[in-house]
Amino acid sequence: MALSPTYVLRETGQNLWRNVLSSAAAIITIGVSLWLFGGFFLFNYAVDNATARWEGGIEFVVWMQPDATAAQDQNIRDSISTSPAVKDWTYVDQNQTYEEFQEIFADTPELIEVVTPEVLPPSYRVVPTNPDADVVAELSNQFIGRPGVEEVVSADQTIRDIQRLADKVTRVFLVGSVILLTAATLLILTNIVSAIRSRGAEIEIMKVVGATNWFIRVPFMLEGLVQAVLGAMGAWVGLRILDDTVIEGLSEPDSLQLMQGFRVDQGEFYSTSLLVLVIAIVVSGIGSAVAVTRYLDV
Amino acid sequence: MIKLNNVTKVYKSTLVAVRDVTVDIAKGEFVFLVGPSGSGKSTFIRLLNREERPEHGTIYVAGKDIGTLGTWRVPFLRRNIGFIFQDFKLLPKKTVAENVAFALEVIGKPRQVVRKQVPAIIELVGLTEKIDNFPHELSGGEQQRVSVARAFVNRPPILLADEPTGNLDPQTSVGIMKLLDRINRTGTTVVMATHDRSIVDTMRRRVIELDRGQIVRDQARGVYE
Repeated sequence: MALSPTYVLRETGQNLWRNVLSSAAAIITIGVSLWLFGGFFLFNYAVDNATARWEGGIEFVVWMQPDATAAQDQNIRDSISTSPAVKDWTYVDQNQTYEEFQEIFADTPELIEVVTPEVLPPSYRVVPTNPDADVVAELSNQFIGRPGVEEVVSADQTIRDIQRLADKVTRVFLVGSVILLTAATLLILTNIVSAIRSRGAEIEIMKVVGATNWFIRVPFMLEGLVQAVLGAMGAWVGLRILDDTVIEGLSEPDSLQLMQGFRVDQGEFYSTSLLVLVIAIVVSGIGSAVAVTRYLDV
Repeated sequence: MIKLNNVTKVYKSTLVAVRDVTVDIAKGEFVFLVGPSGSGKSTFIRLLNREERPEHGTIYVAGKDIGTLGTWRVPFLRRNIGFIFQDFKLLPKKTVAENVAFALEVIGKPRQVVRKQVPAIIELVGLTEKIDNFPHELSGGEQQRVSVARAFVNRPPILLADEPTGNLDPQTSVGIMKLLDRINRTGTTVVMATHDRSIVDTMRRRVIELDRGQIVRDQARGVYE
């Protein structure tokens, strides 16, 4: 016999209403834990975007003028490639720079429209053999003011400090969210066990008249799912606020130069939202499964 | 309809509730299970709808060995067995109609079937005027009638009753027994555990007497002792 949607929804609603306070506690706990969990990912994305050009041990970038001659470019290339102080280097041409530009400014298409690859500078991303700040400064200074060079930008101590701080913040987010997700799982489990105990008489009748195991279990499992999805919706609203206010605020034009790439694009936001929903379903699944298999004797 | 072959049920590895019981109950029979408290009457009944499983022996219900049924098929067995409790076990927040309908809803019966069968069975048990009352607004006898209606609303071929008159006064008990007799006359097999001497002696149906888990008497048109 098929489960009647009306019956399942009615029973689930009654279960939630009977334990309205503990249901609210579970929803809030899930919401906060998922917000922290999602926040961990959003901050990671934002930090990665802000420091993308400094990943892989790159310590300084030699920006060439867009109209530098081939000879000027070859001169710089030779200096970099033959220097024993350079461990590795990458040349990013104007088209690749334009692709980076498109990624960074994905949310402002009007800016992308007015910029073409020709106006963007190519660059050399350099990884020194010795990452010591003084050694890097000495090496990078060799390129300042040379023909065809627009600018030399170093990954200074501030960037490394920000990366370390971001690592710590996101770790706190992650640890906090894991602790709260565990608490949320236990709250869901407790709520379902409480609902099972308060409906002991009904469950006994259901078993005697021949209700199937799943017919008895599904409303309880759905109760956990509803709590988790409501929590995920709350977390989504919180993440939207985090993105629109904190992250966007930090990346505004009048903020620090360093923070201007500190942004989360829409694809990253929605993949984080989807992940939050999946985690919510997993959490409710674990809580519900333990409750109905250990405490619901059918 | 019901057949037990050398059935033994032991609790906690030492307490023998049913010992080597062999019995055959035909379709449409009305059987009283009698005996002192602890003689195994309730265990006998619980074995029939597989609330309990025997340590030894086989139990056939409607030609099927219920010991070999997979767990997922047990609910389908129970849809063929109505069960009446001594303490009624009505749901206090549901009306008479809702209590009876509950038994159909939870086995997935369509709404139109529920709407048709519930008033009909409530009429059969004589409670049409109280169809919208809650259990606390009913007498003990009326509550047991609701319990009977809930057990029989799906028209099961077997009805099990565990001391259905145990909480009722003699006069009310007679009303419930008339109802069970009426249901039995529709061809339903009724197995009823009871301590009520006057009912057994008045109805003169088959009596199976248990003592310390064993059948000590099996008498057609029998009396309490």
